[in-house]
Amino acid sequence: MIRTQVLPSAFKHLILIVVGLAVAYPFYFMITSAFKEFSEATATPPTFWPASWHPENYAEVWARQPWARYFANTVFIAGVSVVGEIIIAVLAAYAFAQMNFRGKNVVFALFLATYMMPGEATLIPNFVMMSKAPAGVNPFFPIPRLGLYDTYAAQILPFLASAFSVFLLRQQFLSIPKELRDAAVIDGAGHLRFLWSVVLPISIPALVTVAILSFYASWNAFQWPFIVTSSEAIRPIQVGLNAFRAEAGSQYHLLMAAASFVVAPIVLLYLVGQRFLVQGVARTGIRG
Amino acid sequence: MTKMRIPALLTTLALLLGACAAAGPAATAAPSTEADIEITGPVNLILWHALTSDPQKGALEASVKKYNETNGKGITITPVVQGNYTQLFQKTLGAIQAGALPDLVHAYESQVADYTKADVVIDLDPYVNSKKNGLDKASQDDIYKPYFDTNRFPQYANKLLSFPFSKSLAVMYTNEDVLRASGVTTTPKTWADWEQAVMKATKKDAAGKTTQYGYVGTTDASYFNAMVLSRGGKIMSADNKTVAWDGKEGLETLQMLDRLYKGGYAYTPTGFEWQNDFAASKLAYTLSSTSSRPFIAGAMKTPVNWTVGLPPQADPAKGATVMFGANIAVLKSTPQKQLASWLFIKWFNEQDQTADWATKSFYMPVRKTAANNEALKTYWTSKDPQGKQAFDVVPASIPEPNVRGQQEIRDVLLDMYVKVTTAKATPEVALKDASTKANQILKDNQ
Amino acid sequence: MSGGAIATGERAASRRRRGLIENGQAYLFLVPALAFLGLFKILPALYAVYISLFRWDIVQGAFRGLENYVDILWANATRAQAFWQSLSTTFTYAIITVPIEIGLALVVAYVLFQKLAGRDIYRTIYYLPYVTSTVAAASVFFYVFHPQYGLVNTLLAQIGITGLKWFQEPDGIFQMLGNALGFALPEWAAGPSLALVGVAIFSIWHFLGFQILIFLGGLGNIPAEYYEAAKLDGASQWQLFRRITLPLLSPQIFFVFTIASIGVLRAFNEIFVLTNGGPLDTTRTVTLLVFRTFFQQGQIGLGSAMGVLLTLIILAFTLIQFRFLERRVQYT
Repeated sequence: MIRTQVLPSAFKHLILIVVGLAVAYPFYFMITSAFKEFSEATATPPTFWPASWHPENYAEVWARQPWARYFANTVFIAGVSVVGEIIIAVLAAYAFAQMNFRGKNVVFALFLATYMMPGEATLIPNFVMMSKAPAGVNPFFPIPRLGLYDTYAAQILPFLASAFSVFLLRQQFLSIPKELRDAAVIDGAGHLRFLWSVVLPISIPALVTVAILSFYASWNAFQWPFIVTSSEAIRPIQVGLNAFRAEAGSQYHLLMAAASFVVAPIVLLYLVGQRFLVQGVARTGIRG
Repeated sequence: MTKMRIPALLTTLALLLGACAAAGPAATAAPSTEADIEITGPVNLILWHALTSDPQKGALEASVKKYNETNGKGITITPVVQGNYTQLFQKTLGAIQAGALPDLVHAYESQVADYTKADVVIDLDPYVNSKKNGLDKASQDDIYKPYFDTNRFPQYANKLLSFPFSKSLAVMYTNEDVLRASGVTTTPKTWADWEQAVMKATKKDAAGKTTQYGYVGTTDASYFNAMVLSRGGKIMSADNKTVAWDGKEGLETLQMLDRLYKGGYAYTPTGFEWQNDFAASKLAYTLSSTSSRPFIAGAMKTPVNWTVGLPPQADPAKGATVMFGANIAVLKSTPQKQLASWLFIKWFNEQDQTADWATKSFYMPVRKTAANNEALKTYWTSKDPQGKQAFDVVPASIPEPNVRGQQEIRDVLLDMYVKVTTAKATPEVALKDASTKANQILKDNQ
Repeated sequence: MSGGAIATGERAASRRRRGLIENGQAYLFLVPALAFLGLFKILPALYAVYISLFRWDIVQGAFRGLENYVDILWANATRAQAFWQSLSTTFTYAIITVPIEIGLALVVAYVLFQKLAGRDIYRTIYYLPYVTSTVAAASVFFYVFHPQYGLVNTLLAQIGITGLKWFQEPDGIFQMLGNALGFALPEWAAGPSLALVGVAIFSIWHFLGFQILIFLGGLGNIPAEYYEAAKLDGASQWQLFRRITLPLLSPQIFFVFTIASIGVLRAFNEIFVLTNGGPLDTTRTVTLLVFRTFFQQGQIGLGSAMGVLLTLIILAFTLIQFRFLERRVQYT
């Protein structure tokens, strides 16, 4: 006797809908509130549907901060970070997955250690390293000064090497059949050629995943850029949004308008690249 | 160890990335001669400030624009918002570490004291007294003395390390309509009378839930300080080594707040939302900065009869409240930039500018004679009668302590205030606990 | 034969050569990653220890040895109290967040994995918060939980709960519950502040999609035949879940548990936006304390010492977790 489903379909939908509403409501509230006027946005209880629509809120918000600059900065920082991170991670992952070398375990453990190292430990020294001030009063052990405070480089370099991306790609590269490598060796192909012409083409989904995750991380980065930048000219979008939070105060309708256009590009990217993200993140889970 | 090789690696890396590590700011102190030089070429200055929103932000930008266009010396100032005061302070501390300071920074007194610890703040006395670029005697006398006092730092040889910039003071906002409707006919002169008025102005429904409050208590150390001062107390001992708000006046203040909160006569607002309640005549009193005026006026849908003035006083003959608002400090750079920074400050505090600033930013003018400025007079009578009421009590304003550690002590006071108003501690315990902590902080910062 | 020996020797030599070349190449491949990790992760970790040994109050001062640590842990009453309180807040935050996060994600993923109409739409919605930036999402959340303007209190008012102050509420939730039911709880039983619970709700909301995603991946790896066979044996849905899904999903649960715990211990942005550590420091986790000590008080030496302590705690936590769970996790 085969039992049919214990949970009826309707009940499943109920669970999914309730959780779904809870998950989606803030987005709905953000978008509708962005079109309300001040008095409606600060009404008790909140209205479900704007009584009157005020698209001009967006124009007002846009005029208050150099958003275009913030967006351009973020795209630039994220772009350079993605490309740099992929190149670095591909090389390292390939070495771990396809090459035999002395000290492999030690180096791998080192990577694992940096992955487990919380950013808080390195926040202060990294900040001191970014300083433009001459190395302090203790010249016998001066912390090197890169002089990168308030530059794009300060927002990019510390994130170029990601142990996580290396692990993710290593896992992908490990799954490449040994026969392919053997065939390449017989053809006289070196590691670089094998990597370029065989490994990378069949690893595109994993690469796209790394790229998307890296892009998200850059786009959403806040704490580090917040402390390491001071001029508007190089400020990324999240720091800009935080600045606008202070400016908006209790003008929640304006804050919601700003929040909505800050998240819009990343949500669009997500909707387009959802497949890669899902496949990729799922792949990083321990596969047993 | 690998340490030896690391700097080389770093340098290479830095060069590869085309990053040029700019030399740190010149570490020379400003001898008086530096105040007497002349601006010889174009000077670009960065001014960091915390005026995050209009009208203040716009007012500053307009003033700076005017100065850039009219100074005739090639001085160009770029104002940059760095978030609220806390964030600006964080940013500036960070910039000290990073060796990338702005030329001018907007700051509270105790923050200037922290910056001075790092030896990056310029002593302004030589500039003020410079024959060539300074302020004449009449001008020095015209600026309210408390404004000078607040910028002299006892921990740093009484040097003048900053100058008044966005000044305001703590005043009692009174919604006269609410009071009248509640049967309060005379203005309370003492805190005891005032407490009665607050209770009378509070309305509760049948279930005992408050529907209209008599007082809203914004959590900020300064309002506690203002209450202590108005009761005749002091904030800091004469030697700046221990706090003085932990006496009778402080305790009475907390006990009063305790009664008001426990009885449902007062509440703590989420942010500035109380302004809407006040404007809608759902609130009788609050202590707030004079700078809240435009927001309250803006939130009023129908005209309301409201005033600002000193809080109730122990000694009405010489009233006292907290001087608020921040100042501006010049940070070490080059003699040219430092002088240009000073020239901007000097211009900004001229009678016409300070009056103009007052009409646009709602901050207090720093000069007595600003009251004679026609534009300001017209503005006060036609648009902002409360502005004049506030200006009239400026002489009673007393600066808060400007010693190092005061910033942390403010957090301690805030904590104390919240503990009492949420009934987490009795006034006695909270006060004692806070004063122990505060005195420890002062000791740590000696 | 000598010729064979020579050939063997040559082969060995050429193997060694190839080995050397391979070694060299491998390290060349690793150099960029090692350089950047070394410069921005490994060296700074050493510097953190170095800085923590100095009085570094805005400017670098005298060598203090372990005095900063002594101050933080017990000697300086104010600092020690702040540190231990923050540590307790940090762990409370983890305890109220991680299990719920995992439980909820497990249920949703399990339901979502089955053939249902509109599955893709549900998925798209569930992942949405995860991709949204914390600053933006937390700004919206703050508004949704606003005591007067937000939906949450409006809904709660329907069931008779009014006046919750959420991110401004320092009172413990058990204490509030006790007060509502008419008895006073001692201070130690007050529970996490409502503000911290609010932050936890945000965190669960924000990361739910990630956990679901991982679980769905794991569910996809479980061969359908297992279920078929069990069904033929007459297993109930619950038995299927208990006997097949849960054990076979344990690697993912372990992974999520580790990632989520570390994530919560390191959380900063959401707390910075929602409460900035307040009210009454009830949401001031160690990360917030480090940030304030360093960035707001200019106490760089003390801040670094706290950062080092936090790192040790997280590392220890990770290792214990690893050891403890390793034995229970069934690898297929």
